[in-house]
Amino acid sequence: MKTVISVLTALMLISFSAQAQQGKCCSPSSTTTKENRVQLPETSIYQLDHQWENQSGKSIQLADLQGNPVILTMIFTHCEYACPMMVNDLKQIESQFTDKHSKTKFVLISFDHERDTPERLSEYAGVQGLGKNWLLLHGNAEQIKEISLVLDISYEQLENGAFAHANKKFVLDQNGIILFSQEGLQTKAEPVLKALNKML
Amino acid sequence: MQNFKVILLICSLLTGLNLPAQENMKRIPAGSYKPFIKGQTENVNVEAFLLDTVQVTNQDFLEFVKANEQWSPDKIKALFADSAYLIHWPENDWQNESETANQEPVVNVSWFAANAYCKWKNKRLPSLHEWEFAALALPMNSLDSNELTQINHSWYSRKNSTRQTVGSVYQNQYGIWDMFGLVWEWVYDFNSVVSSNDSRNKEEIASGFFCGSASLNASDASDYVSFIRYSYRGSLKGNYTTRKLGFRCAKSIEEN
Repeated sequence: MKTVISVLTALMLISFSAQAQQGKCCSPSSTTTKENRVQLPETSIYQLDHQWENQSGKSIQLADLQGNPVILTMIFTHCEYACPMMVNDLKQIESQFTDKHSKTKFVLISFDHERDTPERLSEYAGVQGLGKNWLLLHGNAEQIKEISLVLDISYEQLENGAFAHANKKFVLDQNGIILFSQEGLQTKAEPVLKALNKML
Repeated sequence: MQNFKVILLICSLLTGLNLPAQENMKRIPAGSYKPFIKGQTENVNVEAFLLDTVQVTNQDFLEFVKANEQWSPDKIKALFADSAYLIHWPENDWQNESETANQEPVVNVSWFAANAYCKWKNKRLPSLHEWEFAALALPMNSLDSNELTQINHSWYSRKNSTRQTVGSVYQNQYGIWDMFGLVWEWVYDFNSVVSSNDSRNKEEIASGFFCGSASLNASDASDYVSFIRYSYRGSLKGNYTTRKLGFRCAKSIEEN
């Protein structure tokens, strides 16, 4: 039984990756993706190989971000106070971007696997005016727990459905290694930009 | 494992009954309790669930590692366990059952490894509330609530405690062994904030875990042993391993 499942899974994966390569054959980043994944550093958070859904409903793995500098945090969209401030902090950083930052991605991972569907995330991105370089990710409770643990972000769901959570943002290098983290809200953009610029 | 599940499924269909408590697990009845750190008076409800009667042993864990080599001391990735992972197993000879497979609780395991083990067993790690609720039960045949405190005090004050096998300290009234007295245990949501506040201010959140404020918010400020346990959990990270930290698994009771 297990063997059959493994074989089927393997076949699906093979056909899927073949498709993916066909689909994106000509972009420089995609041709190296598969090789690089094998060589991910042991401490890369991209070692977590969960499937997430972005705000367009597209299934992605964190390792798909390989090759891009990343600024990442965790939020939930029903959050009325802290999360909009966090998003605002990130927008402040983005407002100081120049041409050399064109490959940098912003990644917002939601704590709220029940309410933050891709549709809801898409709506939120619209309201917040988040551009194409912003990824909002929806996943299940288990993968949210695991990413929170590698990021060392404490959180708890409250009875009213909201989340109490730490506010932290991270700068990741092209391989998903955490280069810098910053706690708090209404923080200065400079340290983040400095960490980012070191690798550009 | 798959076969086992199929057999269980067939059995439950044939009998038309809920799955019985699994071997080596006991049912913890539904209830409510007042968590140590809530900063308020409200109780937390816990649904009935199954809990392993003893902690996972070195023998159990060796079986898991042999079947899942990505969790072996040689293959484990640093993101999922620090360099002390299974450091008490002989470095080049951990496969040797006579060296490794004993009935002592497995320690030096990370949350990720513990979580993967429980999933492999078709179980899960207990939540913090489940663990705390089950741990409140007094020793079997005891009516004296001081007995638990005494077990804890003698455990905390023991120096270089000798190695002990699981099922050797005390059994509580649910039939669960050694919730205290052997090794600390991972829970699924050890990094939960445990704060009644919203996410308005990071200071409020951080304060739930640490020294002064934690004892002020504690539901029973004299409960020093619980304070140590909560502080300890707050100091952990998912890939940490230590020689005093093991785990046991839980399972939800499925409704039909």
